[in-house]
Parts: sequence; structure tokens; C-alpha cells
Amino acid sequence: MSRIRNTSNAPALPWIPRWMLALAALLAAAAFPLLVEYGVIQTVWIRVGTRALVYVLLAVGLNLIMGETGMLNLGYIAFFAIGAYTTALFSSPRFGFEVPFWPLLVMSAGLAMLAGYLVGLPSLRLRGDYLAIVTLAFGEVTRYTFNNWESVTNGPGGIPGIYRPTVFGYLVERPIEFYYLILVFVVLAVLLVANLKNSRVGRAWNALREDEIAAEAAGIHGMRAKMVALVISAAIAGVAGSLFAYYQQFINPTYFVFMQSVIIVCMIVLGGLGSIPGAVLGAVVLDSLPEFTRQSFSSWLPAIFGRDFMAGWPDFLRTFFLDFDQYRMLIVGLVIVVMVIFRPEGLIPDALWRREVHQEDPREQEHTLQTLFDIEEGKQDLEV
Amino acid sequence: MFSKRMSSRVAAILVAALLLATMGLIGCAEPEEVEEPEVSERETVKVGVHTSLTGGLADYGFAAREGIKLAAEDFSGFVVDGVEYDIELVILDDKGEPAESPVVAQNLVDQGVVGVIGALTSGNTNAALPIYEEAVIPMISGSATLPDITEEGFDVFFRTCLRDDLQGAALGEWVIELGFERAVVMDDRGDYAVGLGNEVQATLEAGGVEVLREEGQEGDTDFSAQVANMRAFDPDVAIFTGYHREAGLVRKQMVEAGMADVQFMGGDGIKSDEIVDEAGGVENADGMLSTFSGFSPDDMPGFSEFADRFEEATGRPAGPYAENNYDALGALITAIVDAQSFEGADIIAALHEIEYQGVMGSFGFNEIGDIEAPDKTGIDLIPRFELKGDTWEYIG
Repeated sequence: MSRIRNTSNAPALPWIPRWMLALAALLAAAAFPLLVEYGVIQTVWIRVGTRALVYVLLAVGLNLIMGETGMLNLGYIAFFAIGAYTTALFSSPRFGFEVPFWPLLVMSAGLAMLAGYLVGLPSLRLRGDYLAIVTLAFGEVTRYTFNNWESVTNGPGGIPGIYRPTVFGYLVERPIEFYYLILVFVVLAVLLVANLKNSRVGRAWNALREDEIAAEAAGIHGMRAKMVALVISAAIAGVAGSLFAYYQQFINPTYFVFMQSVIIVCMIVLGGLGSIPGAVLGAVVLDSLPEFTRQSFSSWLPAIFGRDFMAGWPDFLRTFFLDFDQYRMLIVGLVIVVMVIFRPEGLIPDALWRREVHQEDPREQEHTLQTLFDIEEGKQDLEV
Repeated sequence: MFSKRMSSRVAAILVAALLLATMGLIGCAEPEEVEEPEVSERETVKVGVHTSLTGGLADYGFAAREGIKLAAEDFSGFVVDGVEYDIELVILDDKGEPAESPVVAQNLVDQGVVGVIGALTSGNTNAALPIYEEAVIPMISGSATLPDITEEGFDVFFRTCLRDDLQGAALGEWVIELGFERAVVMDDRGDYAVGLGNEVQATLEAGGVEVLREEGQEGDTDFSAQVANMRAFDPDVAIFTGYHREAGLVRKQMVEAGMADVQFMGGDGIKSDEIVDEAGGVENADGMLSTFSGFSPDDMPGFSEFADRFEEATGRPAGPYAENNYDALGALITAIVDAQSFEGADIIAALHEIEYQGVMGSFGFNEIGDIEAPDKTGIDLIPRFELKGDTWEYIG
């Protein structure tokens, strides 16, 4: 036990403690809208930021099952869809319901959890690739259900006119208000996941990820521990879906296509499986990069270097930067290949993952040798 | 050990998925020209083009953009308060993704456009509308045909295309006129096809025609289950309300199943020359009937000239909804001139009063923003086409 605790608290940047980095990131996120309020950057950035925060919620939630527990899930967007549709159906002119914000948020999360529980019962008995296939199918089945269940969901036409939420008596209306509302939930989700990670059940998840048979032999109820992970991550996605529906005011089934699940998986693989800061960074970078390049090459760089600054460039470079969006996925794929070869633990790795993927890590070898030496000398007991 | 294997498997799956997605995008992508700024003494005014240039409907987006560009050439130099204005188009791509649509909308609002032409699809229009509504920027779509959009009570929305329910009713009435008694109505589960299919079915059932409803999925290639159901039902007409690719395959598989004598009909989604090949040749496709959600060529005196110009400018025949988008910008500028103002509220008021004469003929907008022609109303507006050999001919 002590071995794990020692290494998992090891900071990624050794000279700054992690909690300070987290605080700095939070302050940056909280201060970011001020740039828009004071006109440094345009309002569109609030919308990009808000959407990125929704993806942060999803990445943090998916990280719980994929990173912590090691269950490959390719249908995570389904829980997001269930949360979004619950909110859309019970707070829009569609059926004339107007359930208040908090009860509806709980309902959205609750239905997503229920779906997670039901799909978990049969599928958690599967491992690795088989689980991936089942979750992929679940994601598609959910979307087709929303697409085809016309009497309730209005089918492919979607649900427009979702009401604005009233939170503690305050009507959330402007994009900036949504930004802060969602930021609060991001902070709550990060705190929840960080604490779970260091809890008894978090250890059980990690043990199951490492070696399921050994973990069960050591007394962990594998099915129960995995179910807890799945249900909690489904709840986070349900909350994200609810907030997204309120923010967007309109949803239809095309929001919840398979590619969205893939993109969230990309976010946490890039950031570092099992790492909360990694998931946050991956989500923010992947979601805002296209708008960032678009703004850079259509307004910021021309403002600095003059309108025709790309005139002398070769054609392929110009189209590449102006239409960066089209190549985004190609580049992300390339980055993932390179990363799996050279840095499989991700951009901001989790200490435990880093040790696993670099078993030839000299520090690790040294540590192991030292431990063996200590045991032999009688300074330390053999740990199981 | 487990983790190393897992991360390389995850990577393999992700890379495969990403490659597929990229190919989908790049395959349809149009190279974006960098527009040369013209040296001009006149003022310029920005108009947003909110469309989808990548993704599954990129060909519609291309046609829309090129139609709008032609209109920008024609309408530049309009006069407001004695000052001449040129139109500067701000063209942004929402990739056909509804989550991207609000970002594009906000971007256009930030850039201070006086009006927006778009969005391309009904879903993306719905996703962007709250933002334009709040900013009071008029939005005119040339191709968002979902009936609900104008019924939702948005003030800023107008469209220069006809609604699916109108086309559905016209298609249904046509089937009844032709005297068919047993009909199969099939859609592809897309928002356009389902809306149209529902309307056709309702019209047919009201007219006493027995209807079997079938559905495929967009992107499917094997429709043998649906065709087997059709065969058991023994229809005398099959109406497919989706797009030409699936329609062609359904027709081909119907012929293979011995239903060559069943009349094949559809909405504007099948009115494409490509359906001839997709259905397996002229012998399968000949005699198909379709309606269209634009005005008929008889009612569009300027259309042939427009089609020639479009082909000259782009090297391609005038694509779907190109003329609707041309007239969307035309109507917007005409309304600005009528109002002598760039204020959203003034332009919207002027759009409701407008009597516009363009490529599609003369039209105006009703109180909810749907297009209105002065001389014809209702289903009489919808033109009918027949596939004769390998070309669609207007038949009235």
C-alpha cells in the first residue's frame, strides 16, 4: 500500500506541487471570461470555452472508467445523450413540462446512472475488446432509439426551445453565466473523482486494472467495484448532458454520433489515461484547437502581419492552415501514434500509469532493487 | 503488461476511426479560396454565410456558397442614405455538426454581420437560431425545409425554400391523382426524409390509399428486408423520401426482386442525375417521378440564365438550392435598401413587406417567415418531374 501512495503523489513537474498547478488552472479558467468582457478577445470564445468545459466533464467522467478501472468504453456519449434528452423532454414546450433545474439535473443524472447500471449488468462480465464492442453497440442503440422513438423525442427533428434554467433564483441566460455554471460542476466533478481515486474503491479500481484475477483473489469484489465506476461516470455524463441541453437550447440525435465517443477517448488518451489534469488538458486542447487556428489565421495573424501575410506561402500550406479543421483528426491520429510509441503515458501522466508503461524505467528498477534489498536486510516487510 | 497492450489497442482503434472521419471530411472538402480584397472607395458591409462546406452535405454547401457569391456580385453597390455599399461575405463552415453551429453563429455575430444566409440543414439552423434571435440579426435559409422551424416563434428567421409538409402533401396528392391504391412510403430516418414521409403518409391515408411504412438507415446498402416486406404487401407505387443514393439502391433491389412494374417516386432528394447509375442503369431508373421544394422552372423566368452563369463561374451545373440561396441574399439586400437601415429590427420589418423579383420569380414572406408567391399557393407551387432516359424533365 505504502508503495503506491508514495509514487502516485509524485508530481508531474517535480518543482511545483500539483495542488498549486490545479489552483492556477482554476484561476485561469475563472479569469478567462474577463478577457471577453473587457474586449480583448471576441464573445465566440465564451462559447468555445463553455463547450470545452462540457467536454472536460465528459473526459473526467470517462477517465474514471477507462483510465482508473481500465474498461475500454466506446459508447460513453450515450450517457451524455440520456442526460441531454431527459432535460430536453422535461423542460421544453415539447410536452409542456417545466421541471425546475435541480430536480431535473438529478433526474438526468439518475436516468443516466440507471442506464449505466442496466448496461453494466451483462457487459461488465466482459473484458477488453469485447467490452469495447458492447459499449459501442450501446452507444449506437441509444442514438437510434432517440432517432426512431418519434412520438417522444420528435425523432431526427430534435427538440428546440429548451427553457433557460433558474439556479438559486437566478435565471441563467447569457453564455458567460453558463460558463461559470458549468465551471462549478467541473470543479465538483474533479474533486469527486480526485477523492475517489485516493479512496478504498479507487485502489480497488487500479488493482482490477492491473490484474483482475489477482485483485479478486485478494478479496476485491470485481463486479461491484466496476459497477460503481460505471454508474458514477454515467452520472457525470448525465449532468454534462443536462447542462449542455440547457446551454444549447436545442438537441437532436446527430449530436450523439459515434465520432463524439471517439473524440472523448482521444482527449483522455492524449492527456494521459488515469490522470485528471491530463483529461482536462486533453479536452480543452482538442475542443478549442480548431477555433484557435481559425481565429489565428483569419484575424489575429493578419492583424499583426497585415492582411496578405500568407501571399508568398505555397498553396498547400495556406489551405492547410485555413482549413485546419479538416485535418484536425488526421493530426490527432498522428499524434496518438507518435505518443503511444514515445510517451504512452500521455501529456500529463498519472504516476501509476507511467510506471506501468515504462517498466524499464531506471528509477523504478532502482526502487524495486532497493525494496528487495530492504526486505532482505529486514528493514521492511514483504508487502502483498 | 495489460496496460501496455491496452494503450496500443486503444490507439489502433482511435487511429482507424480518426482516419475514417478525416477521409469523410477531406473527400468532400472544397478548397477554400482566399478572397482578394478589392480596392474600392465605397463602404463595405458584412453579410454572414453560415453553411456546411465539409461533412456529408458538402455538395449542397458548395452550391449554396457559389449561389450566394453570384448574388454578392450582382447586389454590391446598393445605396443606403446616399452611400454606396459593397457586400463582403464572411463564409464560415459548421461542418454539418450541430455542436459547431452556435460557435459559427457567435463568430458571425462578433464580426458584426448585418444578416446571415443559412444554415444549410434544419438541425444546424435550430441550433444557431437562439443566438441570432438574441442579437436580432435576420437569418434567411435557402434550404432548411423542416416545417417546425418557422412555427417556433423566432422573429429573425426567413426561408426561400418550400416546407417539407407542402412538398409531402403535393407528393401525396400526385399519387392519389395517378390512381394508385396500395403505396409503400419509405424514409432513411434523417430529419428531412422522416418529415416528408410522415406528410406523404398522412395525405395518402386521408385519401383512402392503403399505406405500408418502411424505413432504412442513411448509409445502408442492403435493403432486402424492406424489399421483401414490400413484395408481400404487393404495392403499385413506392415512394422513397430520402436521398438519391439509397433511393437508387432500393429501386435496384426492387427490380431484382421482380417489382420492376411498381412505380417509383420521391421528393427532391432523389432528383439527381446520379440516381440513374445508382439504380443500376437507365432501364431501372426510367420513368421515376419526383417533386421539388423550389419553384417550378415555369415560375422562374431567370433560372436558365442563372444556371448558365453558375456553370460558367464554377464549372459545375447549378447545384441543389443554389438559386434559393442566391435569392436569399438578394432578398436581404433588397430589404436593407427598402428599410434604408442596417438595424436588424428594421430589416426584419422590411422582409415581411418585401416584394422581391429574383431568379426564382417574384415572392415575399408571410408573417412567420415562410416564402410566399403572389399568384400560386399551397401545393400548386410544387413542380413535378419525370426521369426520361437519364435526365429529369419538368412535366408540370
